[in-house]
Amino acid sequence: MKKIMKKIIINLLAIVLMSGLWGCTKLDENPVGLLDPDGFFKTKKDVQAAVYGINGALAHESLFGRAYLTTLMLRDDMSDIGNRSTALDRINVNDFAVNSTNGLINQIWTQFYVVISCANNAEAGAKSLGLADSEINPLIAEARFGRAFSYFHLVRVFGDLSYIDFAVADPESVKTISRTKEADVYKSIIADLEFAKQWLPDKQTSDSRTRPSKGTAASYLASVYLTLKDYPKAYTEAKYVIDNKALFGYELAPDYQNLYNAATANVLKETIYAIDFLGVQNQFSYNDDLMATMTAAQPWFNKSGFDVIVPSLKVYESFNTLDYRKKVSFDTVYAGVYYTNWVAFAKRPHIAKWSRFPGNNTNGRYTDHNYPDMRYAEVLLIAAEAIGENTGSNTEAEGYVNQVRARARNAAGVMGTYPADVPGGLDKTSFINLVLEERRIELAFEWKRWFDIKRRNLGDAVFKGANSLEPHANFDASRDYLFPIPKTELDVNPNLGPQNTGY
Amino acid sequence: MREHFSSGLWITEISCENNQQPIINLIYKSMKKNYDCSSLPDFSWQKLLLTMKISTLLFFCGITNLIAGTTYSQNTKISLNMKDASIESVLNKIEEESEFYFLFNQKLIDVERKVDIAAHKEPIKNVLHEIFGDEVKIVVYDRQIILTKSDKSATAAAMQQQTITGKVTDEKGEPIPGVSVIIKGKTNGTVTDVNGNYTLELPADAKILVFSYIGTISQEVVIASQTIINITLIEAAVGLNEVIVVGYGTVRKSDLTGSVSSVKSAQLVAFPTSGAVQALQGRAAGVQITANNGDPGGSLNVRVRGGTSINASSDPLYVVDGFIGGIIPQPEDIESLEVLKDASATAIYGSRASNGVILITTKKGSKGKAVIEYNSSYSSQSEINRIDMLNGAQYTEMTKEAFPLYVSAGQETDWQDEIFRKGGIQTHQLSISGGTDLVNYYMSGSFFDQKGIILGSSFNRYSVTSNINMNATERLKIGVNIFGQRSTTGGVNTQEISGGANEAGVVGSALRFMPDQGIYKADGITYATAAMGDPIDNPYVIINENTNNTVNDRLQGNFSAEYNLAKGLSFRTILGVSTTNIRNGRYASSLTVAGKDKGISSIGANKNTNVASENYLTYNTTFATVHKFGLMGGYSHSSYRNESWFAGSNTQITDAFSYWNLGGGSITAIPASGLVEGQQTSFFGRLNYGYSDKYLFTFTSRYDGSSNFSKNHKWAFFPSGALAWNMKNEGFLKDVSAISQLKWRVSYGVVGNQAIAPFQTLARLTNAYSIVNGLVVNAVRPFSVVNDDLKWESTAQIDVGADFGFFNNRLNLTADYYKMITSDLLFPVPLPNYSGYQTQTKNIGKIENKGFELTLSGKILTRELKWNIDFNIASNRKKVLELPGHKDILYKSSPGHLVSLGNSQILREGEPVGSFYGYIYDGVYQTGDTFLPGSGFEQVAGGEKYRDINGKKDANGVLTGEPDGLLNADDQTIVGNPLPKFFYGFNNELSWKDFDLSIFIQGTQGNEILSYTLLELETLGKPINSTTNALDRWTPTNTNTNVPKKTAARSERVSSRWIYDGSYMRLKNIVLGYNMPKQFLQKFKIQKVRLYVSAQNILTITKYPGFDPEVNYRGAGSTLNQGLDYASYPNAKSFTVGLNIGL
Repeated sequence: MKKIMKKIIINLLAIVLMSGLWGCTKLDENPVGLLDPDGFFKTKKDVQAAVYGINGALAHESLFGRAYLTTLMLRDDMSDIGNRSTALDRINVNDFAVNSTNGLINQIWTQFYVVISCANNAEAGAKSLGLADSEINPLIAEARFGRAFSYFHLVRVFGDLSYIDFAVADPESVKTISRTKEADVYKSIIADLEFAKQWLPDKQTSDSRTRPSKGTAASYLASVYLTLKDYPKAYTEAKYVIDNKALFGYELAPDYQNLYNAATANVLKETIYAIDFLGVQNQFSYNDDLMATMTAAQPWFNKSGFDVIVPSLKVYESFNTLDYRKKVSFDTVYAGVYYTNWVAFAKRPHIAKWSRFPGNNTNGRYTDHNYPDMRYAEVLLIAAEAIGENTGSNTEAEGYVNQVRARARNAAGVMGTYPADVPGGLDKTSFINLVLEERRIELAFEWKRWFDIKRRNLGDAVFKGANSLEPHANFDASRDYLFPIPKTELDVNPNLGPQNTGY
Repeated sequence: MREHFSSGLWITEISCENNQQPIINLIYKSMKKNYDCSSLPDFSWQKLLLTMKISTLLFFCGITNLIAGTTYSQNTKISLNMKDASIESVLNKIEEESEFYFLFNQKLIDVERKVDIAAHKEPIKNVLHEIFGDEVKIVVYDRQIILTKSDKSATAAAMQQQTITGKVTDEKGEPIPGVSVIIKGKTNGTVTDVNGNYTLELPADAKILVFSYIGTISQEVVIASQTIINITLIEAAVGLNEVIVVGYGTVRKSDLTGSVSSVKSAQLVAFPTSGAVQALQGRAAGVQITANNGDPGGSLNVRVRGGTSINASSDPLYVVDGFIGGIIPQPEDIESLEVLKDASATAIYGSRASNGVILITTKKGSKGKAVIEYNSSYSSQSEINRIDMLNGAQYTEMTKEAFPLYVSAGQETDWQDEIFRKGGIQTHQLSISGGTDLVNYYMSGSFFDQKGIILGSSFNRYSVTSNINMNATERLKIGVNIFGQRSTTGGVNTQEISGGANEAGVVGSALRFMPDQGIYKADGITYATAAMGDPIDNPYVIINENTNNTVNDRLQGNFSAEYNLAKGLSFRTILGVSTTNIRNGRYASSLTVAGKDKGISSIGANKNTNVASENYLTYNTTFATVHKFGLMGGYSHSSYRNESWFAGSNTQITDAFSYWNLGGGSITAIPASGLVEGQQTSFFGRLNYGYSDKYLFTFTSRYDGSSNFSKNHKWAFFPSGALAWNMKNEGFLKDVSAISQLKWRVSYGVVGNQAIAPFQTLARLTNAYSIVNGLVVNAVRPFSVVNDDLKWESTAQIDVGADFGFFNNRLNLTADYYKMITSDLLFPVPLPNYSGYQTQTKNIGKIENKGFELTLSGKILTRELKWNIDFNIASNRKKVLELPGHKDILYKSSPGHLVSLGNSQILREGEPVGSFYGYIYDGVYQTGDTFLPGSGFEQVAGGEKYRDINGKKDANGVLTGEPDGLLNADDQTIVGNPLPKFFYGFNNELSWKDFDLSIFIQGTQGNEILSYTLLELETLGKPINSTTNALDRWTPTNTNTNVPKKTAARSERVSSRWIYDGSYMRLKNIVLGYNMPKQFLQKFKIQKVRLYVSAQNILTITKYPGFDPEVNYRGAGSTLNQGLDYASYPNAKSFTVGLNIGL
């Protein structure tokens, strides 16, 4: 017996030794290097990081890097498809043949909601700290500005929206919501912008123009009211910005060209709000901008152009030859070759604003451009248009347009004669049309035109009219002012229906 | 016999199936009275038995890595004190007290007799002598003591006998020791000695001699008046006693209840391959292996029975010498490779088993003098095919039709000439193996060096392996396997996946780059880049101005110990550690388009560590002679850790830095690093029960816990059961000599696929790359939501199979039918995007794989000219059963720069996985046709014509499947199926005298290929080169064609036009070998010299117009993307000369 016991003990020992050495059954995950949302927010610094998520998410290929800007530009009457062997999604946007599976539409929708989730996350995190209003509200204001900015873009593209203004922990919980009416979305946008205007600083650290300030919020309020045709309020907000331009540090850049030179534009005081990109770098579609390549000819000598967004010849011709802005806006010569001799897809002058001076990167992708969504010139024109609507033209309104025109006469230091000051005494309609035309030229290829067409209901005129720069016979005003809600979204949540008219 | 073999093997008898009568009866267990021991072992029987045991032991040792040697000897001392005890009880006592056991015939040895015995530490032999006196002869071998009547009593019977002698050799003329030579109908017999010679005294009435040996076909020879009978034994096609490695053990092939394919070393080294997986291609039924491309050192796609996953990996699990996730050794060092296919075989690996398990057993040494082998081969390689492209003049003419102002550079360049070269492979391997009673060893060093057929591509590999096994004590066996390898891949950029318009791979560029340009522009200095269209580099630049090197260091140690706890019971433990270090360096010089004026350099590394510990007990026993039990149970724990880091910089001071001075760049790329780790704990067990070798039952299960699993599902259970019926062993078939084997098998089980990436179930924020004021700032954004319910995918599998053997197993057939339903498939289920999250991985969805497998092997000719065949064929049908919300899932698989291509593949319920999705091409519009409107569709003569098949909506806005007179996205449909109807491998081995010839054919049938290559080259919309197919393009004067005109206004579009039949039959390998005559070699003390010439891939029968139908663009690790082709590195055809030397 003893012997057997001994044997058993030895055997057991052997097993325990052999297996026990490496045994262990802890199966919890401990992800070093990853962030757990629970307990992330501890200080204002963490909130700031969450707010900066908004900046990163906007500087994405789906939005201000390419897809969104491309969509808005192709949609208008200023930019046509240059290369008809390009992606069908682009051709369909340009040709008013969009359907609800269009990839660009999907990208825009999805990524703006990523931005919104960043804003909601930051706001929730900020509130969780329980700090005094004066401490934390400026950050909340920055988050709410980001949310308002995104919804302002979305609502103009899609109309009624699924509106979320809280951090979503469980997506299932919002799976059955229905769309919020456009008017209510605007109310929320205005509320966010008002809050932002109240709490944001007059100037951001280092006078950054890629973070919002009080002036930014006011400028967007002006733009929102203009869109809503609430011209008195549009004027009030624009006037507020203009009156406080010194406080906010706004002024027109002396040379129009410098606005489109990545080496100089990023520090100009004219920029009110821009999306920040850094040259050369990218991270999986983040910080990935391609507007230089999308607009340049193929091949863009020694660089990469895709020939995609190319104005019709009529658009080029619609610019006055004496207008310095025409030179800045178009390229007609590449490497000494005039456009009529180009072996490109489109033998037409190409957009120069984004490809001529892209800064650090000679490839045309990952440039140094910051893409301006609001600059002081636009605020002046908003004020002028609002006055035109409110009272008809007056010297104040003319003065605002003239500021813009005067700057345009400065051709790299040489003062030209064109465009002349606004003639006095124009009737209301003529003045408003003049301002709209000024916007078309001044803000050319800055993705403003499509929204002007939409808010002014100009579609039939500009696409089907006798003087159409880019005719599209199939433009349908009952359908085409809005894009369809992505099909995948309606599939997931049928309560988002009905689909926008005509899709 | 109480011999226990380590690896779960049941051996309760030594049996030579083909020689049923005398030998089976001869073997019996000493003390069991119910054994029929009627045949009397006289002296020669005893010898036979002894030799049989030795040879059998050696045989099994070779396979199961057992050390045959033992420390037991005749001098072992025992103590006994018994009075008036029967001899039987004395022997029993000795068996109990020691490891000895007795073999004897009860009719000869009187064990009833009572004796008194008192021994104190006396040698066993003395004790026995005291009991038996001179009457009984005692032979001690190992732990067996054989008792026979002493010579004195046997001599009388031998008086009238004549003597017969002879030699037994194998097919190669090598002597076989240990062959039993028995007189038919008698019990007399002997065994051959080490030189294969035997001498046998024949009684007068002896008529027939029966020669038998394990693993060979036994032969009967009529004696007549011969006095010398020499014989050649032929290896049985499938030895029933062949031992098959299964999870945590081994099993005799005849006891197998599951579906397992076994591939032996000779097939794995039939021709030079970059790895063992490649060598497996076409060798095992139901295992489909496709080269993703021909890149030296490139990856392969392996699917066992179709692959059970959609979004997770469908790669099989690799187990190397019991080490799960071990590094696959080079083919030369592999003894055998087993593919476990059905649930009965795989369930022991539980949550990682649903895509099959490939068990790799490395070579071991065996007892005997050192065997030194040297193998070497040299291959010359060239591309398998080229695509006929337009020349410069033709290209210019065509381009001007769309771009009238195009000015040709006026040169003529065949870019395929510029990139292809004669490639080559050389291999060298030196191995030494051998062993003593205590230790055996196998050591090998090998070198593989490949120069790719595309300039700049190369792959080489140095490996060192050593396998040492020893008997540390009489109960403890220890094994250590150390493996080290360095491989270096000198890459050229071939696979274009998501690269943008300014990036092109070398093959893609060689095809599409303008043939009217040269390497240099007119100045003779500056490289020519694409004159129009996507600004890509010419192929010469891609090769010469890009660097892409990967160095992969692998180190693995595998320690095993086996402790014999008691008779039949043993404990085994394995500790494996492996690390893989991969370093990749890239540089695009300042002369490339991508690195224009600056140079882009980066270096990244990945360090992967796996640690696994396996511990299990095995117990084998037999009750009442007919009930065989095998039990195995154990515990394992494993962990892995993957560390990665990356750095890069741009704008280098000089191109000379390549990627070795990142500090020399003025712009630093965003660095990255990451850590992924996980752990798994498992409990597993297996029960085998066999009744009378007729009915076999196996139950297997595993209980896995994994850190990757979600909170609510940390543990998973995977059971399986199998039944087999050895019908041949039934009385009614026993005497049907034509059928030598007939076994039916059925199994059912559930296995899993872990599929869940670490941390996938946790809610996460992620760092967001964010720029403020031109500076990178710390930023986060919401990334994923918690998922407490995520679990593994499970596959329920039924398998019905049969194994047939005919004519002494000269012909063997294995057939299997299986059906697998995989449920809880992981899908990124769409979330409402407005929540900020796009998808959440959930267990939704089902797919089904079902199919037949057939393996046929046979020895067609066995005389001087020998011909063996091995044929396998399998068909698998894989379809989607259920998708999230029952909605189609469309996805994109085209190369990034083909921007106009959208989703071109589809998952749809009821359809094959990864079906191609696109428009139906109806040829070319002619003048006067009615043009169908649609944005982006042509409406001109010479334009592409597509079919309007859908678009009409009913009142609810739902598509009706009727045409609406408009072309748009609704008109897409399923246009092709990438999955083969069946695939096969056919190996022929012929030998005649010193020559051998092997012909290996492999192929697939019925699969379709979507060729993005031809789509790009033949759309004729871009200013790029085209295939000569473009010569038939539509022009006003050439209207009878289905090739559209050249135009600048055409988008690429996936359509039925780009779907091709991908069936092929390929002469994969043909070898002619010559073995130098033994007699000649013996003078130089050389065992073996074999010279061979061979050719690979020299003939392919296919209709596919691309480079090669064996292609799998984006196939690496993917189940979704099968049957795609885009500008892949073509496979090579090779001519090889080789040499094998054995000392």
